[in-house]
Amino acid sequence: MTCVRSASATEDRNSRRATPHVDSWSELYEQHAQHVYYLALRTVGDPTQAEDITHDVFLKAFRHLDQFRGHSSIRTWLYRITINHCRSVQATWQNRNILATDNAQILDGPSTNTEDPFRVLEVQELGERIQKTLDALPAEYSLLLLLVADEQLSYQEIASLTEQSPDAVRGKLYRARKAFVTEFQKTE
Amino acid sequence: MDTNPSQRRLQHQQQQEQTTEQQTTNRVQAGREFASVEDLLRYDASQTTPPARIAERLQDSLKAEPPPKRSWWQRLFGG
Repeated sequence: MTCVRSASATEDRNSRRATPHVDSWSELYEQHAQHVYYLALRTVGDPTQAEDITHDVFLKAFRHLDQFRGHSSIRTWLYRITINHCRSVQATWQNRNILATDNAQILDGPSTNTEDPFRVLEVQELGERIQKTLDALPAEYSLLLLLVADEQLSYQEIASLTEQSPDAVRGKLYRARKAFVTEFQKTE
Repeated sequence: MDTNPSQRRLQHQQQQEQTTEQQTTNRVQAGREFASVEDLLRYDASQTTPPARIAERLQDSLKAEPPPKRSWWQRLFGG
């Protein structure tokens, strides 16, 4: 059984923020791909689309590197591109149509970090429960929870990514955590 | 041997039941308790790897791209 408590996270996130150091594109990819892919996966809920989004985000970042001003961290910049791309994917009629009809894609879960068959099942089952829970929450709550789970982001950066004040982020996070725990228990 | 076939069958059945019970107990114990929603999501993220083919696709796509322009801060600081 997986238990989640609605305990509030450590508020002092700024001290944990790491400054990214990027020497090459492969390094940039290695440092951030997992986080970009995870955000995309849990936002759109489909591994194939998350794969496409991750590819497009890094390609877009490569094309628009000159627009990166260094005011935010690279991670924040990549997340901004990811969030916008996910929104545009979710908004298309074609996407809604494919998701409603193609069950095979949904059943084909994302790849996991383990080779032990029992652990694979456990991780997949947990992933499905998390996905169901996030899908049941307002999109704003899901996004806030996914962003706050990344320890590299400060509340200021989360506020900037979600276009609201840090105080508003804190308030909504409190409600988002409670809503998550309630919905998560329903998936048992 | 001091046990007849029916007793041996009973012993075997009991052993099987014990093993199944043990496995079930381990499975429950293997379950995790997360201190917060963030911890749960962090664990989920750590267990989710992007497929290797994304990097391959990206490499192919980047080969077809012209070199990126350098940003103003890179030009200024020689990045």
